[in-house]
Amino acid sequence: MSLLALILATLMQATPTEGETARDVEPEIMAALTQETVEIRSDFSGANFILYGAARGVEPGDDIVVVVRGPARDLRVMRKERVFGIWINRAPVRFEDVPGYYAVASTRPLSEVGSFSALRRAGIGLEHLRLSAPDTERQETRFGVEVTVSDIGGEVVDYRAAIGRVRKLEGLFTETSEGVEILDGGLFRANIALPPRTPVGDYTADVYLFRDGRPVASRSASLDVRKAGLERLIYNFAYENSILYGLTAVALALLFGWGAAAIFNRR
Amino acid sequence: MQIYLPIAEVSINLFLLLGLGTGIGFLSGMFGVGGGFLMTPLLIFIGVPPAVAVPTVANQVVASSASGALAHWRRKTIDLKMGLLLLVGGAIGSIAGVQLFGILRSLGQIDLIISLCYVGFLGIIGGLMFVESAGAIFRKRRAPGTSPAHHHRKRGWIDTLPFKTRFPASGLYISVIPPVLIGLFVGALSAIMGVGGGFVMVPAMIYLLRMPTNVVVGTSLFQILFVTALTTFLQAAQNQTVDIVLALSLIVGGVVGAQLGARAGRRVSGENLRAILALMVVSVCVKLGWDLVSTPSELFAIMPTGAGT
Repeated sequence: MSLLALILATLMQATPTEGETARDVEPEIMAALTQETVEIRSDFSGANFILYGAARGVEPGDDIVVVVRGPARDLRVMRKERVFGIWINRAPVRFEDVPGYYAVASTRPLSEVGSFSALRRAGIGLEHLRLSAPDTERQETRFGVEVTVSDIGGEVVDYRAAIGRVRKLEGLFTETSEGVEILDGGLFRANIALPPRTPVGDYTADVYLFRDGRPVASRSASLDVRKAGLERLIYNFAYENSILYGLTAVALALLFGWGAAAIFNRR
Repeated sequence: MQIYLPIAEVSINLFLLLGLGTGIGFLSGMFGVGGGFLMTPLLIFIGVPPAVAVPTVANQVVASSASGALAHWRRKTIDLKMGLLLLVGGAIGSIAGVQLFGILRSLGQIDLIISLCYVGFLGIIGGLMFVESAGAIFRKRRAPGTSPAHHHRKRGWIDTLPFKTRFPASGLYISVIPPVLIGLFVGALSAIMGVGGGFVMVPAMIYLLRMPTNVVVGTSLFQILFVTALTTFLQAAQNQTVDIVLALSLIVGGVVGAQLGARAGRRVSGENLRAILALMVVSVCVKLGWDLVSTPSELFAIMPTGAGT
């Protein structure tokens, strides 16, 4: 909780001195997570942590938005089609750098917080999350403006929607309006839930202060999700000493199999 | 109690895994099959990626077949010579199968191929076994005391093959080619489907090689033990897809279940045993087949690039 104390101390300094109005203070935001690393151990079934922050120069009507992004990875999305009565994966589309985790929390519904273009530009919200399929896209100049055109036309919308839908079901993509709670004196907090299927890697939490539909201040914090303890040892063993790992897997199985047979036969 | 599986990278209830291991271990000990044909689909169903489920089940089958094989070794119900020939074919099949598994994974079609293999093999074998064992039970009821006339049995193409040798434990004089080919086929299945292959090998030994039923189960377990050990090793060394934590959870339940199953199996008659197994094989097949043809709730599949999980 020393982090919180630090934020509080900073906030005290940041409180406008007498004579100054909030309007004169340049909006600024500070944020810290209750945890900077999340360790995945054998009993890992998801994690919850809190992002604390303080904002300076907040005016009534301002909003705070927290966006947490997990490690990006390329995805292959395939559409199931019925062929001779059987559902088969077809028409693969590769999506580049899709975050493995994506959570948005805000003080109000996003559509009320920011303008379409501001949200789109910063990639805030599930409908504004950038999901690009570079293999199906071309840059074209139309009426003198360079635009991105998709080879598969409107279909790419279905593919994008599918990513959001599946990830939402797994708890990996979330959007909570009113997920950011404003406390007294410019302090705020947001609850962040990592599901059991949380991917390992570097996470970033971006905090934005929105005013009149545009972000006026932002700050990021980082989070490291990693395997720890025995899980880490096993994972490293499997990837770094694959041959020995394979032999160990077989030896353990034999030991258990024969051990059980020996015990049962003695009785 | 949830347990995190480091290679599969998912959290699953430990008691569910132990329960699955025990239940399928029981069947394994009772029927002399590895149980992988049930375990692999069930693991995929509870959320283990197929690419991890298949090799990890092979690892679990090593343990369940080891305790089963040892029990048969003590009772001297293993045809060692036949087992070694099946093993030679099995080793070649396993090596080829692990390569094929990798190729299918990179094409994004491994799930479909696994399901199609299951539906095809389980449907044919389960159906044949069920018809045969139902017929046997029926004949036995109608005319008690008259056993099938083995001496007048029609000899097929297998007896025309060269390299004949004697199998004293089975009382056979046949070519070495069919056992090697059966082993090869089963070894490939072990790598691609995550099964021991008992559901193919046991019927093949009974109906093709015409081995006596009392040595069939032990010999099949003997071959399964070594082939799955090789498959586990190759998958771990080449694809890093064996999850030791998952395997051990299944093994702990499985070895206990297998011992109980082996005891229970001795009290049930051969025909009834085969009829029950056939029914189970057919029901898994129907379930998988239904999943292939029924409209899925999600019409898109999302997978990391380069892997078919």
